[in-house]
Amino acid sequence: MHLLVVGISHHTAPLELRERLDFQARGIDQALHALAQRGSTREAVVLSTCNRAEIYAACDELEAARGDVVAFVSAFNGVPACAVTPHVYEAADLEAARHLFRVAAGLDSLVVGEPQILGQVKAAHTIAAAGQRTGPVLNRLFHASFGVGKRVRTETRLGSGAVSVGFAAVSLARKIFGDLAGRSVLVVGAGEMGKLTARHMKSQGVSHVTIVSRTMAHAARTAEAIGGANVAPWDDLDAAIAGSDIVIAATGAAAPILTKARIEALMRPRRNRALFVIDIAMPRDVEPAAGEIEQVFLYNLDDLQAAVRENLARRATEVALAERIVAEEVEKFGIWVRSRSAIPTVVALRQHFEDIRRTELDRLAFKTASMPPDARARLDEITRLIVEKLLLHPTEQLKLLGDTETVGAYADALTRLFALSERALDAPDAPRDDSRVEPFRPKERGRR
Amino acid sequence: MNLHLLPLIVYAAAMAAYAWHFARRDPAVGRAATTLLVAAALAHTFVIGMHTMEAGHVPVTNATSAIASFVWLLALSYLYVEMTTDERAMGVFILPLLVGLQAIPASHPIAEARSQVLQGPLFGIHVSSLLFAYASFALAGVIGITYVLLFKEIKAKHLGFFYTRLPSLQILDRMNHRAIMIGWVFLTLGIVAGAVWASTYAGADPRVRAMSLEDPKIFVSFVCWGVYSFELFAARRIGWGGRRAAYLSALGFAIVLLNFVPISYFLTKSHNF
Repeated sequence: MHLLVVGISHHTAPLELRERLDFQARGIDQALHALAQRGSTREAVVLSTCNRAEIYAACDELEAARGDVVAFVSAFNGVPACAVTPHVYEAADLEAARHLFRVAAGLDSLVVGEPQILGQVKAAHTIAAAGQRTGPVLNRLFHASFGVGKRVRTETRLGSGAVSVGFAAVSLARKIFGDLAGRSVLVVGAGEMGKLTARHMKSQGVSHVTIVSRTMAHAARTAEAIGGANVAPWDDLDAAIAGSDIVIAATGAAAPILTKARIEALMRPRRNRALFVIDIAMPRDVEPAAGEIEQVFLYNLDDLQAAVRENLARRATEVALAERIVAEEVEKFGIWVRSRSAIPTVVALRQHFEDIRRTELDRLAFKTASMPPDARARLDEITRLIVEKLLLHPTEQLKLLGDTETVGAYADALTRLFALSERALDAPDAPRDDSRVEPFRPKERGRR
Repeated sequence: MNLHLLPLIVYAAAMAAYAWHFARRDPAVGRAATTLLVAAALAHTFVIGMHTMEAGHVPVTNATSAIASFVWLLALSYLYVEMTTDERAMGVFILPLLVGLQAIPASHPIAEARSQVLQGPLFGIHVSSLLFAYASFALAGVIGITYVLLFKEIKAKHLGFFYTRLPSLQILDRMNHRAIMIGWVFLTLGIVAGAVWASTYAGADPRVRAMSLEDPKIFVSFVCWGVYSFELFAARRIGWGGRRAAYLSALGFAIVLLNFVPISYFLTKSHNF
């Protein structure tokens, strides 16, 4: 069986095409079902995020499946194949595994090291598993990828440091105030940037958000958009600042509205409680000299962006470490895949021994018929144990064989030595010792 | 062999582990560092226990043995803070202090005096309160230094080394304040107990008679009390938290250290038995 990944991502396709190939919108379940109907794949997982649309599949005929999956992607989304094909990338077997591991580790993400992708990979697998579209191969592959994501997160600093302005602001607020619960944020100005930053702060645990704007109606609208925010009139700005821990200044004023002297006067009634001022307005709302006041921490948009750039640079140095982890895990997965190629031979060998045991027991049935039932049961048990013991070592050795060629040679030898039936060796659905999860079979095949 | 060498070696090993953990932020190394420090504290407990059995009381009567006991108390106090806050970053600052101070008893043999005036509960309260107060001030001083380091990074908008390693300013400020509060209470208690004890035994020993404000050790203790009292007052009444409190804590501890080592060894006439 082969592994295959076919997909498009932010690396290969423009946003317009990614928007059109949106499995999430059309239903992952439907996509999995439609793909199963085509019969070219035996297991499948659809991973669809705003930056990528990928299909992971286990198949028997690699070439046929490759063409069919691309055709499916264009047909299912109603996009002509000629528009899709130039942007599609594909990888097979261990390269497909490497691709998924890199995706799960966040190495393939637009923002390298972002943590959401691992959750999205897990969700994609859960949906496919719930719909019984995964089997031993993809289950093993995806569980290995979760392990890779976890290892990269704990063993490297690929995901450390804020890489967006909003997160940088929250991370700073945490470094100043510790826990954000019980803290209050004041947004000066009712613009989009202020609203986004305040919403972000609120989602990170800030208790109170107050909006002050020259126009009360604008303030009220912004407060509503944030959800659960208060509104205060422009004339109460000083009092509102005195009662806040974090001030986000985002007005469209031409000259600074918060001068050093104004903030200094407010620090006295605050009894020097720390004040974190984020100036995201252009031109600036806060006089830069205000940052000199003891216990006032003033950051403007450029400062936050500089912090983000530093973090991104730090992440880049961790990439090599993460790639090494991916390579190690691909290696481990490869060992498992190779051990699997011996499974049909193992199954046939066991079947052959079991057949002999059964035949011999049946032949002696007339002699054992007179024995008491528990003695007969013991006889059955003893013969079964003998077969088990005889096969234990050969089975283990077969699974440990290094490469597919050696496995083939051993399989040939065993087939000839024990006259194993060709049918058993070729049976694709032969029972496997690791098939605890029901393998996915296309419906028409299942009925056969 | 000087028994104090044993804890010194383990403290030094723990110091290396804390430094490594601070630089690399490897949780396994952090756990190893804590384990080493616990081992060092246990070894130190054993050594102090041996000296206690030998002398008949906890060895605190001369400058060297008092330093050994102080190191032991500071190690225990720091371990308590680390375990309750789950914050290891301060260890890298505390451990050099432990190692540096422990080197003194490790290189000076301790001859513990057995004097009649040094018996009794008042003397015990005096010494143990002061040692505990100094341990609190040591913690506060170190926390204050880390506060200033982090404060400067955030103010300078250069979010680097300490930013990723230290807890938040708010937590550091609160820890500092709490340590000063506890230290101040014990410092006050220790001074009062000492004064009562000295007036009780004034006739018994010439060294006790020499105890007055003119003795540098006693004078500097009062300066310490003044500094920490001001810090607590300023925090409450004029909003001197944050960096100013941190600087005061560092200053206060510098005075404590001065009182503890050079003054004890070279200047005081009254406090060496």
